[in-house]
Amino acid sequence: MTRRRKIVFWLFVLGGLHGIVLCAGFFAPYDPVEQDRINPYLPPMHLHIVDAEKHLHLRPFVYASRLRPGTFDQYVEDIRQTRPLKFFVAGAPYRLFGFLPARLHLFGDGKERIYLLGTDAFGRDQLSRLLFGGQISLFSGLLGAGFTLSIGWCIGAAAGYYGGWRDDMLMRLVELFLALPWLYLLFAVRAFLPLTVNPLKAFFLIIAVIAAVGWARPARLVRGIVLSAKERDFVRAARGFGASSFYILRRHILPETSSVLLTQAAILIPQYVLAEMTLSFLGLGVPEPVPSWGNLLSNLQQYSVLVSYWWMYLPALVMAPFFLGYLGLASALQESSDAYKIEKRSLGSLA
Amino acid sequence: MEPILKVENLTKRYAKRNSARTPQEFLALDSVSFAVSAGATLAIVGESGSGKSTLASCIACLEPPTAGNFWFEGRNLAQSAESELRKIRPQIQLIFPDSASALSPRWSILDIAVEPLVLQGKLGRKERNARTFFLLERVGLAADMAERPAAELSGGQRQRLAIARALTLDPKILILDEALSALDCSVQAQIANVLLELQASRGMTFLFITHDLTMAAHLADEIAVMSRGRIVEQGPSTKIVRNPDHDATRQLLAAVPRLPRSPWPAAQP
Ligand SMILES: Nc1ncnc2c1ncn2[C@@H]1O[C@H](COP(=O)(O)OP(=O)(O)OP(=O)(O)O)[C@@H](O)[C@H]1O
Ligand SMILES: [Mg+2]
Repeated sequence: MTRRRKIVFWLFVLGGLHGIVLCAGFFAPYDPVEQDRINPYLPPMHLHIVDAEKHLHLRPFVYASRLRPGTFDQYVEDIRQTRPLKFFVAGAPYRLFGFLPARLHLFGDGKERIYLLGTDAFGRDQLSRLLFGGQISLFSGLLGAGFTLSIGWCIGAAAGYYGGWRDDMLMRLVELFLALPWLYLLFAVRAFLPLTVNPLKAFFLIIAVIAAVGWARPARLVRGIVLSAKERDFVRAARGFGASSFYILRRHILPETSSVLLTQAAILIPQYVLAEMTLSFLGLGVPEPVPSWGNLLSNLQQYSVLVSYWWMYLPALVMAPFFLGYLGLASALQESSDAYKIEKRSLGSLA
Repeated sequence: MEPILKVENLTKRYAKRNSARTPQEFLALDSVSFAVSAGATLAIVGESGSGKSTLASCIACLEPPTAGNFWFEGRNLAQSAESELRKIRPQIQLIFPDSASALSPRWSILDIAVEPLVLQGKLGRKERNARTFFLLERVGLAADMAERPAAELSGGQRQRLAIARALTLDPKILILDEALSALDCSVQAQIANVLLELQASRGMTFLFITHDLTMAAHLADEIAVMSRGRIVEQGPSTKIVRNPDHDATRQLLAAVPRLPRSPWPAAQP
């Protein structure tokens, strides 16, 4: 595959994955916070097309679950009750993309509930929580990377372009931030806030913390590029035409750094999704009942959940294709960068 | 005539970075002084590393001198503030020796050529493009190439683009740093003709930097010979070529291959 094709391929993969999460309301059959207390920790229901009497059904269906007699946490399929999947049905109201009111769901079944990925302790649908949780986790990764790179770019570009004492000062600051134990810093920041914060505040707190500690590395990368770019003749020529620093940074230096910024974004977004998951896992992130991949996984802190209900691990598994997508994109982007070309050339001359 | 550019004791030191423990300084320009009157051509010749490009950068206000002064139209630019220099720079244009790095490779030819006029912001879009196309044609670049990226041009075409770009600003001083060295003889002659025409019609002043003494003698009224950051000899072209005083000049003369017939237009009397 050519480089361009690889990039397009990975963008396509990521676009599809994010599209599903973005339209969580449509793909999720239920409201993620709606409880079904009589069905806690219900295992995933299996899809069937052949029933117990060997009849073929055109419409996939699931069997209702019932408690195994004599136990109170083990379920078996109740083959007398089938629940056929109905597609494109009206169900719980939601807002598509966060603002368009809608009721249409990909599948569902009016009254009887279908839990394709099981339920949690409160009988909430794990599939719905997974999809809506992805919105929080991925969005905080994207927003965190966006902020980090913007701050990093501004500081790195200023240090590299203006040089002198400003450069020295900013680079010392970078080193300071690289040395910070950010997790414990976060504990300290969290300690200043009241015990319960609302989900929106918690969300922005996470992003603020991620950006505050993350900008240092991209700043250093950008500085290096700006340092060499500002000595390029076409930048000096533009200065000779009477260009201002702002014009030069925007028109000539920003494009030079764009490939590094893109590669960094592809590396940082999954890292920051993971950071959100870590924080929420520790209970420092978005609070219940709002789902995020991190606080879904925090159920695993209970030993009984850890050993008994495997479907509670699913958020960790779902993350994998996203990470794979971002890492694939990052390496496809890196292939195009000059550093890689130089590396390849020098390796070639050794061989 | 009142000199348009007067340089006095211009000195430039670079910090050498090779030994961290004993920070040494390298004297790239050592008390350089000369003057050029408006509408004249001064050639600056010298061996590689003699400080010619450094001198060009200082005069074009792209590099602050360490010491010394220079006056452009009576204004001391060595002591001027950055905000003032920004207004002066368009009037002193420098053509870089490496045309490949002087043009942003991703931009189209037209975008590159109109950039100075866009930055000036005085002309409207139509007038800008008209002026740019006129100059591109003058240096022999066809208008139908305008949309192509600069990376597709040949070395000679790139250098012509760089010259046309600088000329759109109608500068008072044009510094050509080895600008014609990479071109073949017929193109050199064509560009030289354009430049001499401009000099005659607009009174443009040229600083012509080269290591080729015969070419300098053809194009310039006066030659300054540089060696190791100093001007070691300066005088009328014919005198320098016929009757050199300094060893550095003799070495440069010896290095020039003699051509049977000159491709360049004859120097003005
Ligand atoms: N930015 C810089 N930092 C340190 N030293 C420099 C720098 N620029 C130039 N020099 C040194 O100054 C000296 C003069 O360089 P300059 O480029 O002016 O020479 P030149 O006469 O243009 O040579 P050439 O004919 O090869 O272009 C060289 O020895 C060079 O190493
Ligand atoms: Mg040079």
